[in-house]
Amino acid sequence: MKLILDIGQLFKRKMLETLRNPIFIIVSMTTPIVYLALFAPLLNKLTNVPGFVPGHVLNVFIPGLLVIIAFLGGLFVGYTMIDEVKNGVVERMRVTPTSRFALLAGRVLRDLVNVTVIVVFFVLIALPFGFQVNILGFLVLLVLIAMMLIITSSFSNAMGLILGDEDKLSPVVQAINLPVLLLSGMLLPMELAPKWLQVIAHFNPAYYVVEAGRLLTAGHIFVPKVGYAFLFMVPTTVIVVAWATRAFQRSIA
Amino acid sequence: MALEPIVVTRGLKKSFRSKHGVIRAVDGVELSVEPGEIFGFLGPNGAGKTTTLRMLTTLMPPDEGQAIVAGFNVATEPKKVRRSIGYVGQNGGSDRPATGRENLILQGRLYGMNATEARERAEELIRLLDLEDFADRIVYSYSGGQRRRLDVAIGLVNRPKVLFLDEPTTGLDLQNRANLWVQIKKLKSEGATIFLTTHYLEEADALSDRLAIMDHGRIVTEGTPEELKKEVANDCITIGVEHPVENVPVLKDLFKDRDYVLDMTEEQERLKLCVSDFATALPRVMGQLEQENIRLETVKLSETTLDDVFLQKTGYSLRDLTAEE
Repeated sequence: MKLILDIGQLFKRKMLETLRNPIFIIVSMTTPIVYLALFAPLLNKLTNVPGFVPGHVLNVFIPGLLVIIAFLGGLFVGYTMIDEVKNGVVERMRVTPTSRFALLAGRVLRDLVNVTVIVVFFVLIALPFGFQVNILGFLVLLVLIAMMLIITSSFSNAMGLILGDEDKLSPVVQAINLPVLLLSGMLLPMELAPKWLQVIAHFNPAYYVVEAGRLLTAGHIFVPKVGYAFLFMVPTTVIVVAWATRAFQRSIA
Repeated sequence: MALEPIVVTRGLKKSFRSKHGVIRAVDGVELSVEPGEIFGFLGPNGAGKTTTLRMLTTLMPPDEGQAIVAGFNVATEPKKVRRSIGYVGQNGGSDRPATGRENLILQGRLYGMNATEARERAEELIRLLDLEDFADRIVYSYSGGQRRRLDVAIGLVNRPKVLFLDEPTTGLDLQNRANLWVQIKKLKSEGATIFLTTHYLEEADALSDRLAIMDHGRIVTEGTPEELKKEVANDCITIGVEHPVENVPVLKDLFKDRDYVLDMTEEQERLKLCVSDFATALPRVMGQLEQENIRLETVKLSETTLDDVFLQKTGYSLRDLTAEE
């Protein structure tokens, strides 16, 4: 009970922060719109290319973009964490009887709300452009997207806590950012890739989410690729969250 | 005092591994803090003060030794310790995108208070630390001194049995420093036990009922500021007289065997007499001068400071060290 209350309080604190300074949300919303306006038209002639199933090109592109939103929505939150470490906020809370898991969960939950709002907003924007979405499939995809956000946000928060310095966090975050993005098939389907790239992509959890996302939005829910996505994402989420909680328990130099 | 000490440590140790080998940050600290006192922990940066504090506040487990805080063992009962203490770290701890009041209420909630209790406690602390004028502003807009007062208020939310303050006035200007000293004394007068670290001699002297001097991970001496100063006894009278070339040697002879003169040195044609006690020595010195009919031109009194104590115990001056900052 105390755990839920703590998470609620800490979530409220972070949410207030977002609402007072909504510029972050606004910027996050413009990025996908820029993609939609300036990148999606490039794909229009790519029908009948491998990976581009018959139907509207946006049905290939948008699910990938939704996964990017979640991936990036969590990956950079560690910078705010470093700011809080430097101002002693984390230390102050670690001296209270608050659960260490709540210290993490309150933050991640706020990021989850932010990303969900942006994702739903973006789908609504894309509908008039011809994006077709199966509601039930989309809801299942939201679960996968949530796990993607939980993983990146927990990871980035814990990394910020452990490293405590922007200059140390940047290389870590950048080292993950590009390879995961490029090897997920978010922008272009991995079917276009040479064999060796496709093999590497199979080690990337984001790849499975993107693949599953394309099927889910088209209404294919009970198919093997969706199962694979859950098979990869559930354990990864559990492991990363457990590791990040430990970072809050351990002392920080 | 008959009461149980509120903080007791035995053989507390903590080492860190670094590129240059193992650093013994805290190397066998023994101390005890009595309820109701301000206990000062004086030492230069890197002496191990903060590491000791981090162990006492459950932020870091000790490698060796034992620490009992508010009756609980920090290593085995950290949750019970956390309920009983307040802590204000070097970097403060207030959340800057929130208001002061929100910070206080959140802290109350994290200690398990309900919404009404937390609001009332926040209100009490706003009054206690004079935060009324800015409590509902976002902390980003606070001055350094205002923020520090809020930090201290946050540390007091759970009515701690002992409040730990790590370098509470570092980075504050003189006026804000004096202001915070007043607040800390006020807390003590209301019964709080305060454990503070500092590298400012004046601060340790002005605030502490008792203090420990720490250097290289060890406590080198401990006592009330008066006791420590008496031990060093470095109250000195520096006198300058007319015709020093003839007169100073005469005076040297005169004071050579006096029991109230502990030490005598010549400094640029002036004579520095270190005495056990100004009150008894000063009239006698003046009497001697009058008797010899030597006219006094200048006189300077220098009292023992904690820096003299520090110098004697560690072999170097803390003032020289902090002056470089």
